Amino acid sequence: MTQNNVYSDATRAGGEVIIEVQGVDKFFGDFQALKNINLNVGKQEVIVVMGPSGSGKSTLIRCINRLEKHDAGRIIVDGIELSDDIRNIQEIRRETGMVFQQFNLFPHLTVLDNITLAPRQVRNTPKQDAEELAMQMLERVKIPEQARKYPGQLSGGQQQRVAIARSLAMQPKVMLFDEPTSALDPEMIKEVLDAMVELAESGMTMIVVTHEMGFARAVANRVLFMADGEVVEVGTPQHIFEDPDEDRTKLFLSQIL
Amino acid sequence: MVAGTDTAVVRRESPAVRWAKENLFSNWYNALLTVIFGVLFLWGGFTLLRWVFFRAEWEIVRANLTLFMVGRFPRDELARIWASNYLIAGAIGLMVGASTASAAAAAKEAGLPFVRSRPRDWIQRFWPILLLVAILLQFSRTWTPTVMVLGMVAVGVAARYAGLNLPARVRRYAWLIMLIMLIGAYAALSWFGGVELDGWGGLHLTIFITVAGILLAFPLGLLFALGRRSSLPLVRYLSVTYIEFIRGVPLITLLLMGAFALLFLLPPGTQLGSVARLIVAIMLFTAAYVAENVRGGLQAVPKGQTEAGQALGLPAWKVMRLIVLPQALRAVIPAMVGQFISLFKDTSLLVIVGIVELLQVSSIANSQPEFLGKGLVDVTLPFVALIYWVGSYTMSRESRRLEKKLGVGER
Repeated sequence: MTQNNVYSDATRAGGEVIIEVQGVDKFFGDFQALKNINLNVGKQEVIVVMGPSGSGKSTLIRCINRLEKHDAGRIIVDGIELSDDIRNIQEIRRETGMVFQQFNLFPHLTVLDNITLAPRQVRNTPKQDAEELAMQMLERVKIPEQARKYPGQLSGGQQQRVAIARSLAMQPKVMLFDEPTSALDPEMIKEVLDAMVELAESGMTMIVVTHEMGFARAVANRVLFMADGEVVEVGTPQHIFEDPDEDRTKLFLSQIL
Repeated sequence: MVAGTDTAVVRRESPAVRWAKENLFSNWYNALLTVIFGVLFLWGGFTLLRWVFFRAEWEIVRANLTLFMVGRFPRDELARIWASNYLIAGAIGLMVGASTASAAAAAKEAGLPFVRSRPRDWIQRFWPILLLVAILLQFSRTWTPTVMVLGMVAVGVAARYAGLNLPARVRRYAWLIMLIMLIGAYAALSWFGGVELDGWGGLHLTIFITVAGILLAFPLGLLFALGRRSSLPLVRYLSVTYIEFIRGVPLITLLLMGAFALLFLLPPGTQLGSVARLIVAIMLFTAAYVAENVRGGLQAVPKGQTEAGQALGLPAWKVMRLIVLPQALRAVIPAMVGQFISLFKDTSLLVIVGIVELLQVSSIANSQPEFLGKGLVDVTLPFVALIYWVGSYTMSRESRRLEKKLGVGER
């Protein structure tokens, strides 16, 4: 039942599927973090993943770029199936940007070097071109004036925007966000969400683990509600937030509102 | 007490007097301690100065200065040492100049101010070494060493000037020129009918063993640290076994093995002099400790750093080289320099295997007929200690400097 919904929604969103997750299981020792997850993401689709802590949201998106290895099922990104082949993994990681809760900027490099590192080292972009690209990305997240500073000299919101720019500099086809605003002070959440909304409106395919309902309402095509490693419910933001079918969803929403 | 009188008193006091009142004489027991330690300090200082300038018989150092500096290096080959020193001075000058120029260019590109260090900064930075050189030179009976040292300074300054003005394209290869000059410095000593390593001695040999030990132990230690974290079980177990074996054995054991047993372990026909074998022993010993230090640094780098690198599509070795290692090494500079200071001082253990390094010269000098039985160890040992102190203290200061420099932008 749930599976059928997932597939039909994907085709509705844009026709072309860019991420296919089929029957994925993930174990940490005896603990099953993901139970038979099925999800198709269409091109230019924005999916928000919600759920209580420990429900497997982060694990799901970390499986998509192989920061975690899934134990069963298939994951296909842009026509490439994730396998143990390191070349496949590298190829998928080049096409997939990721933004972390803790920013994970490289503290020993300037903002500019943080952003140019991957284009220069992975794509062999010449230094000058990489720096031009980096400045464009910094313009996009509205902090070009911070290019020569070190991450430690920036506020949390600025750091997270640099992290977004760093991912974008690889010109990925898909962006994964792992609770991008959870480590931020409240007054800095908006600047990061603004950058993400702009990105969504530009047509980027995004999977966002977040509890920011305003963001979900503004740009999400679908909201995925997870609990105990399962997808409990999938639907439009309106459907999930205003008239959820499942009791677990209702309970969760009542707790975070 | 009327407030007015108080302020009147305060106004008459100079800042120094006020500081002394607040810090040294704030109450009766503080004042008592100040007086006691003041007397002890003055008495100690007086005794020391009296010993240095009137009591100590520096003749033993003066007569044996060359022995302290170069051991039994053949006296008619000493020109080789000066030639080698000139090459080293040139190499250091060139490198300092070239790296200053690179740093200035990078700062200019980034639009940041760049302050070039002035001669005064160099004196502040290396005053212990300058002091030691002055002391050594005043012990000399001829002017030759002074002239030679001034010549070395001149060569160093000239090479620095050359390094500063190298065209940017050549500057990138300055390290290569420096490497060739350093190999030349070794060649000047040993090649073309020169003196083999086993004929070196004194402070010269101590410095050489220290530098060679550090340069060899660091990369080897790095390899073992990475090996210990390798995903290949065989590499991991080999590294762990090596590190734990070496750390479980006293350095003296390794030195004795290097001196007497290593030859049997090497393939027959291997030509390795005794000093070279001991350098190998020191390298193997230090590498194990460097490996543990680096491992500590690697563990201190958060996992998110690796993940961020991986998520960007960087291959594992680039994640290690560009993201994890720079942060890990910075974190362990103090521990690692501590290890290198130990290495420097531990070269004195070579006494027991009969190498004529700095400390050994002290015993040799005291067994010479004209000084035998005069109990002048209390002159030669402080002299040797001063040299070790200058070396160790300089390394320690440079480590702090490096830490600060690399700490730019740290959280």
